[in-house]
Amino acid sequence: MKVSYNWLKEHLPLELSATELSAHLLKIGFEVAGHERLGPTFTGVVVGKIVSKEKHPNADKLSVCVVDDGATKRTVVCGAPNVDAGQTVAYARPGAVLPGNFKIEGRKLRGVESQGMICSRAELGLPKDVDGIWVMGEGPALGADVGSLLGPADDILEVEVTTNRPDCLSHRGLARELAAYFRKELKPLGGGMMESAKASFPVTVEDREACPFYGGRLIEDVTVGESPAWLKAKIVSIGLRPINSVVEITNYVLHDIGQPLHAFDADKLNGSRIIVRRSKTGEKLLALDHRVYDLPAGLLVIADAEKPVALAGVMGGEDSAVTTATKRIILEGAFFNPAEARKSSQKTRLRSDSSYRFERGTDPEAPRAAADRAAGLILQIAGGSAAKPSEATAPRPARRAIQASVGKINAVLGADFADLGVKQALGAIGDVNDDGNGVEFTYTAPSWRHDLRTVNDLSEEVGRFLGYENIPYRMAPMAPRAARLTPVETESRRARMQLAALGLWEAYNYDLVSEKTFLACRLSAEGQPRVAQPLSEDWALMRSSLLPGLLKNAQYNLSRGADSVRFFEVGKSYAIRGKEVDETWRVAGILLGPVLDARWQGARTPRASFYDGKAIVEDLLEKAGPIAWAKLSEPGAGKTPSDPLFHPSNSLRATINGTPVATVGWLHPRVARAHDLEREGAIVFDANLDWLAGRESAPPRFGDFSALPSSRRDLALLLDKATPFARLEGVIRDCLVPELQSVLLFDVYEGKNIPEDKKSLAIRLTFGRFDRTLTDAEVGAAVEKIVAALAKELGASLRG
Amino acid sequence: MTRSDWEKSYARAESALRDAGVENADLLKLEEVRVRFMGRKGELTELLKSLKDLSIEDKRELGPKAQSLKAALDALIDARKAALEDLGDEAALAADAIDLTLPSIRPPKGRLHPLTTTLHEIARIFQLMGYSWAEGPHVEDERHNFTALNIPENHPARDSQDTFYLQDLPLLLRTHTSPVQVRTMESQRPPLRVVCPGRVFRHEQLDATHSAVFGQVEGLVVDEGIGLADLKGHLQTFLQKLLGSSTKTRFRPSYFPFTEPSTEVDVKCFFCPGTGCPACKHTGWIEILGAGVVNPAVLKAVGYDSDKWSGFAFGIGVERVAMLLHGVRDLRHFYTNDLRFLKQFDESLL
Repeated sequence: MKVSYNWLKEHLPLELSATELSAHLLKIGFEVAGHERLGPTFTGVVVGKIVSKEKHPNADKLSVCVVDDGATKRTVVCGAPNVDAGQTVAYARPGAVLPGNFKIEGRKLRGVESQGMICSRAELGLPKDVDGIWVMGEGPALGADVGSLLGPADDILEVEVTTNRPDCLSHRGLARELAAYFRKELKPLGGGMMESAKASFPVTVEDREACPFYGGRLIEDVTVGESPAWLKAKIVSIGLRPINSVVEITNYVLHDIGQPLHAFDADKLNGSRIIVRRSKTGEKLLALDHRVYDLPAGLLVIADAEKPVALAGVMGGEDSAVTTATKRIILEGAFFNPAEARKSSQKTRLRSDSSYRFERGTDPEAPRAAADRAAGLILQIAGGSAAKPSEATAPRPARRAIQASVGKINAVLGADFADLGVKQALGAIGDVNDDGNGVEFTYTAPSWRHDLRTVNDLSEEVGRFLGYENIPYRMAPMAPRAARLTPVETESRRARMQLAALGLWEAYNYDLVSEKTFLACRLSAEGQPRVAQPLSEDWALMRSSLLPGLLKNAQYNLSRGADSVRFFEVGKSYAIRGKEVDETWRVAGILLGPVLDARWQGARTPRASFYDGKAIVEDLLEKAGPIAWAKLSEPGAGKTPSDPLFHPSNSLRATINGTPVATVGWLHPRVARAHDLEREGAIVFDANLDWLAGRESAPPRFGDFSALPSSRRDLALLLDKATPFARLEGVIRDCLVPELQSVLLFDVYEGKNIPEDKKSLAIRLTFGRFDRTLTDAEVGAAVEKIVAALAKELGASLRG
Repeated sequence: MTRSDWEKSYARAESALRDAGVENADLLKLEEVRVRFMGRKGELTELLKSLKDLSIEDKRELGPKAQSLKAALDALIDARKAALEDLGDEAALAADAIDLTLPSIRPPKGRLHPLTTTLHEIARIFQLMGYSWAEGPHVEDERHNFTALNIPENHPARDSQDTFYLQDLPLLLRTHTSPVQVRTMESQRPPLRVVCPGRVFRHEQLDATHSAVFGQVEGLVVDEGIGLADLKGHLQTFLQKLLGSSTKTRFRPSYFPFTEPSTEVDVKCFFCPGTGCPACKHTGWIEILGAGVVNPAVLKAVGYDSDKWSGFAFGIGVERVAMLLHGVRDLRHFYTNDLRFLKQFDESLL
């Protein structure tokens, strides 16, 4: 809310500077977000006329002007593009001082003597209107002081009023708050008006709960025109646009004392009556903002005999607006239920200074006095005569009384404020009556304070006025309890540390993505939670997988010169289940490019392959149990929402105890293409963190190893190309050789010297026992058994 | 073999040995010498073997002689070997000269995101103060996000939290982490001390300081006799641990529907000496969190006895803290995942 400090001082005499006032406002909960100084912050600037303009002989962008200030004509060099002969301008004579203590003196500019300066608004510290100099237009006399033309200096403060304090949304309201805080008296509100015995239009209120008070006063024979200068200046100072005197008066009263009012052109109201009722289906309103609103049924409207003429508490209609042609007006002063005003404003997406106040809660006892004040001003400015107002009133609920004690208030604050101080603070904003038991008292709030209902509310008032800085710092004593993490947080920390240690960078992506993103990743958007009114198409859907975001991160970085990306993210995926949304913590990642940061080693640096991704998943699942791997395209692999993004045959699913837990593999070629990623280079993985977190984890158990030397035998085996290594491992395992300690694959070879349909696998078998060293014969027998089994089951033969 | 034969052989061997040139031999020659004299059929070996043919007296006399010759040869060979090794090392040292200035070869390095480390740091401090970690869903219902927090329908306080509602479902994306307060109180009995970190969602256009998705850490303490003073004590302790022990705090009144009294907490600007700079919007103070005494209406909404229990709650923006700690001016950096940005937070694997 814009507050004019001069205006504020009309209600409360204050000796502080505006800056000092801002500091006090902050202490009682009103942040001052902006502070603008109005009026002159310069001297020696007069109205001048540009008599002539020539191009500067030595500079393309400069002009040489002759300026007449009524007394003399002087040469001034000016650089503004919009300067021209005949303009009336603000002319800073030599000796003038501009904002920032910038002194103007005669000086040579590129060889031409310049006697002063033609000013822009910005150079005078005024809000900028156009680029270049300030062209003032005809009117002001040559030589007149520009500073005095601008009117008196003022400070305009942008005061942030929290939603619980609508009573402070006016100059008097804020002054009232400050009066209570400074323990000063508000100046009395002047006014008073004459009314005739004539009756106004009849008022009918159909819903007294929605509109507990409605007053309409007829004022006849008005002459609506331009507002007087003082009124216009006030309206402009707080950033409003002057329209006509009656509109200014209602706006003025709103910003002066906080009561929204509305004036109708009485001759535009059909049937000469006012009805406060609910809108009916199909009704429309052409509002003052020149837009037509389709009113849903059930909104509170002000209607004439035929149709709505205003959306109650929000905005009036254009058809019944007061114009300079208006002769008779109906002046409305009402109290609307805050929820009604908010509903109307929300449903029509129409907001106004009025709705802003009504929906927060205005003073139910203020409308009559406020309307009288406005009527008095109308009579004074626009003339005419006022009829007796027509009013419809519902019985007013009793004011809320709060039972409190200084002890309870100090308990809420953790403070030790004295009785007197507490009661004085509350007495300044309401009535405090001792209950007679020496401890408790009853506080009754004034009609404008809807926010005071409980002891906690009163405590805040006491805290504000006596100072939050006077409340001590205390460390709450607590029953000692061990602070602990949730299982999923423990697991995500483990995963994060593990992946970072494996050389992956953590990424953060948004949970909301576009439909296009789903498509580019071959993911189904069907059944995904959707946002009702997204910011844009980019934020339409909740993600079903973290991978689309990571693919974008990879693409982004590769296109900016990175030659390798290794990213992971820990986050949630979403899916609709019935009437709920399932949220699953996941961890996903992408690898692409050289594994080592050693570009100069060239081809010797390996690039990330499927097997790097597999290692990462193995590490993530390390403690979860034995992994069963299945190709994604196999029926046993199970389904997850991210699957279509993966290459169906070059991807593996890790299943533990029958639950699909993680997936790792190549990208589906189309997904790779859509992201400009190498078809074989990008390795992605995705694991269910919630599942991992759900397991009990025990500390690792030590397993003994033999102190005796083991025996190793290397075999080079020739196998069919299609035989997976896992089969070979399986056959060896099935030989049940108890002395076999490990099988290590150390070479895979296809090509020269090998039949085309064959491959060579080189394995190292390690044998050993805990109790003694094996003999050569024992090892030989075991190897023979294994070789025979491999030959029988897989057709494997020993090579060379 | 007779003694004189043996002595002749000995003299031959001795003189041959002298002429063998062990002093200048290379490794090959040394081996030759060793085999010639001490191999299985070596001259010295034969001499020692043939001692058995001599009398006991001769053996006693000549045995040590032969032994010492052998020992002398051993020593000679060892010395030469050592000398050769030294020479070899010197040659190798002179020849070895890789280009030490080539760039280092790095194993892949990864790091945690600066928002993760910031969040962990915030949570770590609160953990030291006895706060446990609590979580709640991102997709919420009206009750947890608003109503139970004393934000009824048609209340203007809902304006400040422009909400993403879901299509076709009576659900919304939580606008703050405060619903976790409600969920925690619904599932646990007091006393309580929790932090609830997580993502929140606001229907807001993105710019340098606003995001539609961002991180928040909610805190909640419920116990007997809690007041605003406890809030001040806890939060000042926290801020001084986070930002340095000389951090100055300022608590000023504010409004949140779910706390009463409410406060905004500022810290003295640590970018300027209080004289004002862009970081503190020329006020000398930086707004860092919102807090307040839990509104008894919130306690009642979850069935707590608000006469017995009271508490305080607070909320901190993770991005805001990270921006302050690391001097980041545009919060969109945090979600772009540009490696040139991420690589500047190298200390993040603590």
